[in-house]
Amino acid sequence: MSATSSTSWLRVRTVARRHAYVLQRAPQRWFDVVFWPVVDAILFGSLGVYFSRTSGTGPKGVAFLLAGIILFHVVFQAEISLATGFMEETWSRNLLNLMVTPLTEFEFVAGVALFGLAKLLMGVGTVSIVALALFAFRITDVGIALIPIIAILLIVGWSIGLVVIGIILRVGQGAEILAWGLIALIMPLSGVFYPVTALPGLLQPLAAILPTTHAFAAARDVVAGHALPWDQLALAAIGSVITAVLAAAFVTRMLRVFRSRGFISRHT
Amino acid sequence: MSSGQTVLRATALVKRYRRTLAVAGVDLSVDPGERVGLLGPNGAGKTTTLMMLLGVVRPDEGVVEIAGHTLPAERSRAMAHVGFAAGYLPLPERLRVREFLTLFAKLYGLAHPGPAVEEALDRFGIAHLAANMGNELSSGQRTLVGIVKATLHRPRLLILDEPTASLDPDVAHKVRAGLARICAEDDTALLVTSHNMTEVERLCQRVVFLSGGRVVADGSPDEVAAFFGRDDLEGVFLHLAETEGERAR
Repeated sequence: MSATSSTSWLRVRTVARRHAYVLQRAPQRWFDVVFWPVVDAILFGSLGVYFSRTSGTGPKGVAFLLAGIILFHVVFQAEISLATGFMEETWSRNLLNLMVTPLTEFEFVAGVALFGLAKLLMGVGTVSIVALALFAFRITDVGIALIPIIAILLIVGWSIGLVVIGIILRVGQGAEILAWGLIALIMPLSGVFYPVTALPGLLQPLAAILPTTHAFAAARDVVAGHALPWDQLALAAIGSVITAVLAAAFVTRMLRVFRSRGFISRHT
Repeated sequence: MSSGQTVLRATALVKRYRRTLAVAGVDLSVDPGERVGLLGPNGAGKTTTLMMLLGVVRPDEGVVEIAGHTLPAERSRAMAHVGFAAGYLPLPERLRVREFLTLFAKLYGLAHPGPAVEEALDRFGIAHLAANMGNELSSGQRTLVGIVKATLHRPRLLILDEPTASLDPDVAHKVRAGLARICAEDDTALLVTSHNMTEVERLCQRVVFLSGGRVVADGSPDEVAAFFGRDDLEGVFLHLAETEGERAR
């Protein structure tokens, strides 16, 4: 795969189709798009109900937690679909087959991300439907302010996915656990369900540099019925672009190392 | 042969892995319709050379040009003219044979690959496997499907790494006949590695022997055997394997 020739929409669609076959025939993959979304919606919805009753925050408490988990699934689904899309090719030892076709790196990532969008719709749709059915929380009531927030979270999710791919290219399949580990680290640091002031003081500066922190802060304001905080949104947008550029540079560098050191032998 | 006609031209390829010099200045060119065997004992540098020719491993020095496109800058355009199969590569799980071939045909730019897939399956006599899942096939059948995949888009250069290693003799014979036919009909150049010297003598018009990362012989099987004072390629192989072993000690 190389990044230099013109992009072929046919090849992008073909990669997406290949991963549709995988989802269609690998029941365990439905855990990410159905099982965990249902579990998360029930868990955080119930926690919200309990805390709203005990602390007297009312329906707002439920809304904070459910909006948080729904938006977190945007990051999670974007990241996990990209990372596992690449990992699928290493698991099935298909990497060499792909690398000797005209497929470029960009087309591969675009194809996996394209199908990842479909998985994201399924995963986020599942959380949203369960939240509506069991807790009468309608995410669409938050309004169109959600659109830029979702776009930012999508970019960050894909960026984390690229970083995971880069690390796997460099150190091999032993790094696969990071596909789930990195996102698990991002979740508490980003203040998905609480302001970063609730974090231990030592972690707050780290949280402040994450674009997800500002995206979730903006989302909480909107859920609370306030106007969209443009300053938080701007910080999140700038941060997400920087993250994406750094992630792309990192995976490009790791691919160069992969080719230079002949690491394909790990996958044949 | 002029450079305009040469399908593959590799010049002064060098590759080092930490303290090991895997390839030490390989020159190789293959012309249209030519069937070339790239041979050598384990550790001679065959696989590294193949991977550099395919753009998967980046050479430390040297240039690879395929169908007029230079790697790595024009890798995608170059690969549109290359078909590759390796006896050791499995088929991806969760795909039927026809789906696998259709996906790869599209990656090679065939927008409507149905007829090409059916024709390629017929060519190697495995049309009956089209609806099977990849993981239901024997290793020999998987190898055949891999070769079908490599020839779907009628490439100008076919690179096969140990293509018949897991095939029964009768199936291997069919594969050799199919490959020879493709080369003759389409003027496809073939570069093949194998440890089966009898097979190479039957299939290849020219052999290139590597030893210690260098080209040590290049010519017809008879010429190369005579150059080393041996009866056949197996004798040459054993001689070079012994030399390689002594070097390693």
